[in-house]
Amino acid sequence: MNKIHLGAVSDFNDGEAKGFDINNVGADTFFVVRKGNEMFAYVDICPHYNDTSLPWKRHMYLDNQSQHIVCAAHGALFDIEDGYCLQGPCLGQTLRKVPIEVSADNDIWIRLTTIEEFNL
Amino acid sequence: MNIIGPDKLIFGVDDVEACRQFARDYGLAEQGEHSFVALDGTGIEVRSRDDESLPAALASGSMLRKTVYGVADQATLDQIKAELETDRDVKVLEDGSIELLDDLGFVLGFQVTVRKAVDLAAERVNSVAQCNRGINHVGVSKDHKPSIQTLSHVVYFVPDPVKAEAFYEKRLGFVTTDRFTGVGPFMRPAGTQDHHTLFFIGTPPHMQGCEHFTFHLSGPTDVMQAGTNMVNKGYQSFWGPGRHLFGSNWFWYFKSPFGCNMEFDADMDQHDDSWTGREAMMGPDNSQAFLLQYREKWAPAGGPPPKA
Ligand code: FES
Ligand SMILES: [Fe+2]
Repeated sequence: MNKIHLGAVSDFNDGEAKGFDINNVGADTFFVVRKGNEMFAYVDICPHYNDTSLPWKRHMYLDNQSQHIVCAAHGALFDIEDGYCLQGPCLGQTLRKVPIEVSADNDIWIRLTTIEEFNL
Repeated sequence: MNIIGPDKLIFGVDDVEACRQFARDYGLAEQGEHSFVALDGTGIEVRSRDDESLPAALASGSMLRKTVYGVADQATLDQIKAELETDRDVKVLEDGSIELLDDLGFVLGFQVTVRKAVDLAAERVNSVAQCNRGINHVGVSKDHKPSIQTLSHVVYFVPDPVKAEAFYEKRLGFVTTDRFTGVGPFMRPAGTQDHHTLFFIGTPPHMQGCEHFTFHLSGPTDVMQAGTNMVNKGYQSFWGPGRHLFGSNWFWYFKSPFGCNMEFDADMDQHDDSWTGREAMMGPDNSQAFLLQYREKWAPAGGPPPKA
């Protein structure tokens, strides 16, 4: 196996995000967001300090309306589709996007090489 | 001017229910429909961002909509009004408080303070020569509930910390206690001896807003227990626990749904006008005496763990 299963698209409601800690380090290292039928994944590090994670509670990566990704530390807002910061301290910077794969039967996978490359 | 310190912070938030639960879990008591208060009556007001009773938001999108200061008496309130009416609009609100904009565009309120005299005892520590806690008094227990004593300070991101300092010093009588070079001052109003009730951090204009706010607890043990309770409820630490150098206050910061960090703090230095301010470069080495990191409860036992 050169990839790890992250669940099915149907495990996420539209506008829901989840953090993952695949190496059991005790904190999530990346998160996956469902928007419509598309899935997006980012490293859980805010570009403001490049050293701290985003949510105030596990899985709380989105605003109330699921319009944007939020960093709770200082309220930065990011575009769900490209991770671009639209408001807040890191305005104009981008979250680091993690490539994931969605199979024809709607399973979500991440490659081991990606986990290594992004240190997840 | 006899300004005592912040009485209330008013927020217009994205997720009201999340903020309300966060405030409860932090340890504040619900008061009326929108307020959460500490023991002495100071606190926060949580409203939806589109609540029409709120003053306008900053362009930066900060959820902090107003900082309300408590002052000693009506005479102080009149004095502030007279001073600031000379160059800006000062509104008198229905409750008798006044409202105005500071030189950076933050909405400020001033009111005769709501602070009640309550027993805000400090944590007591025994040493060899001093039995401060009293004989047969235990210092810590698992089910102790830390109490949130009083609203302590707010840290603001500001585009022009020099302008900010000048306004609070010249117009409102705040004193600078210490300073991070090129970053900003720690300030206390004349009516308190707390090292700071505000600190300014110079940033680009698009960041203007609240970096964090915090309440005083009775001592380091309560900070540790309150923070541990938050971790156990699933909240995520941002920085701490540790102890700051300027102010000597113990700290533990948590990310929050208020769009800024919310801190627990305790044991801040007290100063009067004989204090000579210090200055240092901001950075990891000058921001804390030490920094610890939470770890799940664990204990060493007698021998090596039994083999599976
Ligand atoms: S750390 Fe994310 S906005 Fe400041
Ligand atoms: Fe603080």
